[in-house]
Amino acid sequence: MKKSKLIRSVVAWLLLSPLIVVTLFPFAVMFLTAVKPRPEVLSPTWWPSEFRWSNFADMWVATGFGRALLNSLYVSVLATVGAIIVAIPAAYAMSRFRFAGHGAMRQFLLVSQMISSIVLVLGLFRLIAAWGLIESTTAVGVVYMAFNVAFNVWMLQSYFDTIPRDLEEAAWTEGASRWLTLRKVFLPLCLPAIAVTAIFTFINAWNEFIIALTILRSQENYTLPIQVFALVAGRYTIEWHHVMAAALLATLPVAVLFAWLQRYLVRGLALGAVK
Amino acid sequence: MHNRALPYLLILPSLFLAAVVIFWPVYDLVQISTHDVSRFGQLRDFSGLANFTALAGDPDFMAALWRTGLWTLSVVAGALILSIPVAMILNSDFYGRSLARVIILLPWAVSLTMTAVVWRWALNGESGMLNSALTGLGIIDQNIQWLASAGTAFPMQVLIGILVTVPFTVTIFLGGLSSIPDDLYEAAALEGASAWQQFRTITLPLLKPFINIAIVLNMIYVFNSFPIIWVMTQGGPANSTDILVTYLYKLAFRVGKLGEASAVSLVMFAILLVFTMIYVRLAMREREA
Repeated sequence: MKKSKLIRSVVAWLLLSPLIVVTLFPFAVMFLTAVKPRPEVLSPTWWPSEFRWSNFADMWVATGFGRALLNSLYVSVLATVGAIIVAIPAAYAMSRFRFAGHGAMRQFLLVSQMISSIVLVLGLFRLIAAWGLIESTTAVGVVYMAFNVAFNVWMLQSYFDTIPRDLEEAAWTEGASRWLTLRKVFLPLCLPAIAVTAIFTFINAWNEFIIALTILRSQENYTLPIQVFALVAGRYTIEWHHVMAAALLATLPVAVLFAWLQRYLVRGLALGAVK
Repeated sequence: MHNRALPYLLILPSLFLAAVVIFWPVYDLVQISTHDVSRFGQLRDFSGLANFTALAGDPDFMAALWRTGLWTLSVVAGALILSIPVAMILNSDFYGRSLARVIILLPWAVSLTMTAVVWRWALNGESGMLNSALTGLGIIDQNIQWLASAGTAFPMQVLIGILVTVPFTVTIFLGGLSSIPDDLYEAAALEGASAWQQFRTITLPLLKPFINIAIVLNMIYVFNSFPIIWVMTQGGPANSTDILVTYLYKLAFRVGKLGEASAVSLVMFAILLVFTMIYVRLAMREREA
């Protein structure tokens, strides 16, 4: 029995290996280019003659990485916190009340999840311009927040539905108010789901490209994806080792977060997407 | 009684936020697309469907429309064909399974922009690591200028599109596979069913709702996908890798043809609504079943 699992493992890894190689290829390219000494970057060798870790520090200064990092953090935190605060009451209402328009709201949430920002980008640009908020990272954060609300309500509601009502009803019969029950009984139980939802919103906002590209026009307001893109687009000489170092640093934190959380996503999506 | 109003109060903020970023832009796009509009966005005379007919006569738009169809179908089909066996392997019990899962789902966490930037570098004609890897393996003997012509650039973009679509698709299928009880397979094995028969008569039918959902959701995501093509080629050379989203972006923010750009947006919006209706249908049917 033990032996057959060993054989199965070898076969499984062999079958998966082409895909794994292709998946890891960009990471290898990113890392190896990022640590190459500058003169070697343009020579088509894989392995650098030495690992030049100072590239990261040089890149940090040369590309204004710190400022872009702060901008990214700002828009992502704004989007995440805002979306969760707005979505919790809505998901609670959807899960615990039956009201006229319940089904319509559900459909609206589904549909608005499907409408991507790219289709509306011209209208959004004009909306934001009309309010004089071009270049505003806050406006970008609020747009991310709005686009993530549907996903948040959807994820939270599917989790709220799994929490038995008896717990709350028990608290009510003890004389606790709805608000107190919500705070002391219900929300603590939902903390894991809230955390997972928030982190996925954060990753979405962290990685978003088109809205930031359209609204943020000057370098001091760039978020990380736009900053990295700006190092490549329309330049005569591209400092590829800086580009790759920046891409690696921008990617690593969310990749680690994601690797840690992906099994919750499998569960959450199975609940959310199909049910 | 305030309790009757409570649920409405609770959903109001999210409804409001979602509505502002959807309804207002859609209304605005309808306005622009049916008016003669200046480069700076001032509306002039009502022009009916002139912007839409201008699009229909624009060969670049028609080419982008067809290419979008090709792009969407090939990425979705490619990801589907690859994801079913991968999900089945990842669902079976073997050593290092969680590591394999993490590796295969990893591209999902990486921003498409970063992925596209890295591939743009890896596909660089002179110094790109793909050429040097392929040369090293003896597969090619002279460098290929991958991004210099649509003939090589677009297939590469499709392959990268497939690669970044696989994690999401595999995730959906893993959810589906874990809902199939093991005793079904045990019973089938007792009856002497081969692995292929088990796949065709148990796995595939029970996975079908998940496959449907994955197809529709992927169609929507891929149809809308902007960064891969924009970062790698900006739709070039000479619009030869443009899909609707990149063409729309050029019309709106490069050329300043706002009327036609909003017409493209509305055409895309209509196509998306059709996809979404199909999705809602499927999702609701699953709920009832």
